[in-house]
Amino acid sequence: MTDFPMTTTDSASARWTADLKSFFLRYGLFLLLVLVILAFAWLRPSFGSAGNINDMLRSASIAALMFVGLTWIIAAGEIDVSFMSVAALANMVVAALVASGHGWALACLAGLAVGVIFGLVNGLLVAIFRLPALVITIATGGLAGSVAAAIGLGTSISLPSTGFVGALLHVNFGVVPLLTVIVALLYAGAWFVQERLTFGHYLYALEQNRAAVVEAGVPVNRLLLMLYILSGVVSSIAGILLTADLSSGQPYIGSSYFIDGLTSVLLGGMALKFGKPNVIGTLTAVLLLAALLSGAALLGWTDAQRQIVRGALLLCGVAVVVWARRKTRAHI
Amino acid sequence: MMALKSSPLTLRLLAFVLLLGVIAAVFQSFAPAYLSENNLHALLRHMSVNGLTAIGLTFVIVVRHFDLSFPGVASLGAMTLGWLLANDYSLAESVAGGIGIGLLAGLINGSVISYLRLPDIVTTIATGGVAVGLSYFYSNGTSLSENFFMSGILDLNDSKFLSLDMPVVILLGAAIVAFIVLHCTRFGRAFYATGENRRSALFSGIRVKAYVLTAFGLCGALACLAITLLVASSGAANVTAGNQLMMPAFAAVYLGAALFGAPSIPATLAGTLLMSAMLNGFTLLAIPYYYSDAIVSTVLILAIGIFDPKLTTLVGGLFSRKPAR
Repeated sequence: MTDFPMTTTDSASARWTADLKSFFLRYGLFLLLVLVILAFAWLRPSFGSAGNINDMLRSASIAALMFVGLTWIIAAGEIDVSFMSVAALANMVVAALVASGHGWALACLAGLAVGVIFGLVNGLLVAIFRLPALVITIATGGLAGSVAAAIGLGTSISLPSTGFVGALLHVNFGVVPLLTVIVALLYAGAWFVQERLTFGHYLYALEQNRAAVVEAGVPVNRLLLMLYILSGVVSSIAGILLTADLSSGQPYIGSSYFIDGLTSVLLGGMALKFGKPNVIGTLTAVLLLAALLSGAALLGWTDAQRQIVRGALLLCGVAVVVWARRKTRAHI
Repeated sequence: MMALKSSPLTLRLLAFVLLLGVIAAVFQSFAPAYLSENNLHALLRHMSVNGLTAIGLTFVIVVRHFDLSFPGVASLGAMTLGWLLANDYSLAESVAGGIGIGLLAGLINGSVISYLRLPDIVTTIATGGVAVGLSYFYSNGTSLSENFFMSGILDLNDSKFLSLDMPVVILLGAAIVAFIVLHCTRFGRAFYATGENRRSALFSGIRVKAYVLTAFGLCGALACLAITLLVASSGAANVTAGNQLMMPAFAAVYLGAALFGAPSIPATLAGTLLMSAMLNGFTLLAIPYYYSDAIVSTVLILAIGIFDPKLTTLVGGLFSRKPAR
């Protein structure tokens, strides 16, 4: 009777610390975002200027758009490393068509078609034929990348004007670009789908135990096929927007989005879901990365140093996810 | 993989020789210089670079992991080599430095993946990115070529040993050592055991974590050895040196594994020979470099797809005659 392990006050404070820890884990990413923005705004006042915020939001929106499909693919336990090459290919296709005088509407349709085609190829090979996702998407990414380079004969294609896409890109509501509002609405929709529809549940279930989901009667192949097509489509839309943003087609534009995409998805996984990739987390992580890289550029860091920061952040993201899910892992 | 593994070795060797013959015939018809002695030497030298990288990657794939960092690590190794040469270190020291960096990076990869249990794909992507960033520090991203001629690094490419080009000798040496280690020793068999069933291997007394660590270390070191040969042949070290290593290495390992049923050193060499034969032919036909990635990617997809047992049973089922119900 005299050796209860904890008194009531002890267990209450233990619960409180556990809740606090859980709160920080769940919402820490948002706090980090706010901290980073405040820190850089204090270090470099030009960071907080309307122009800089506008630019950051615009490039973050394009990146966030590219990573939506990737978020769900990684949440389902597969991987897609072709997304940035599909964006580069869509970028080059649009640039080539516009440069040869075909008008932006047709070019955009062609860019979208590129995304659908590569999404279908990925989905067919990985989801239907069940070939290993990593190597197949490395190969399709390589294919997309070299077709992109081939279109421009190894160099970029510059465009004289940016058409209606460019005009759309530069519409602003004060400091917030219209694109950000659109992407925010898209993410809100994605959040709804992920949280309130069974689709989201199947997604996370797939990652934990694919066989069980198949046995439960869920059309897993079709689901994954849709995910890969989604990834292809949003990557190509991002590529189209990049063409207008840069007023040129750049065949190697994808490389910087590669590590950023994986970092955003994995770091974002910490927000709200203790290590499972989710769309709100990805959005926050994209903003965080944009703020960090923009701030680092303003602090005078070279491209190489920022590249190291990106790689280090990805490692942190991975470590954080693994640490968060350590209890559910096998231990050999 | 059971159905294909049971095909006799002779059939597989025949298939390999046939493929090689077809490639040679096709390219010879388009470019008569293909089978000339000069071109064959160039082909073999190209094969040495890709072959060394592929041998390193074979170890990682045998333990059922992936390494996407070796292009970045190779670039870092190349710049280290270039910097050491430019600062008057001896040839042996510089090459050792380059390969040492590769070994270090590989060991870091391996320990993070195997002891900290981080997922291999994303971790190696991250370390590759960090390595590329670090490689810019030597010369701010410009290429290094001071002292190269004087130091003798170019001899690594130009000299001959028993009338074979030095790069080919290095590849053969590495391949023989790797073959003996992987296929003729218990140490090597343990790699396969770790890959096929990690849990059983662990309970059989194999230190699986150490083997994964070793595999990644070897991959990094061999990738840097490969890039040393590339630097020797091009005469300059630049930060993008490693980029062209990635796709052919994966294609070679998977093509070889598809042809011979499982990843192994001879299979990888066969795959590398086929890939180099194709790429060399396309260079000879003056097809631009950006098409080569497309070709390598297509070969990789085909290699995986055609020899995947699920697909073969699927297609086989389409063509078999089932009795009417």
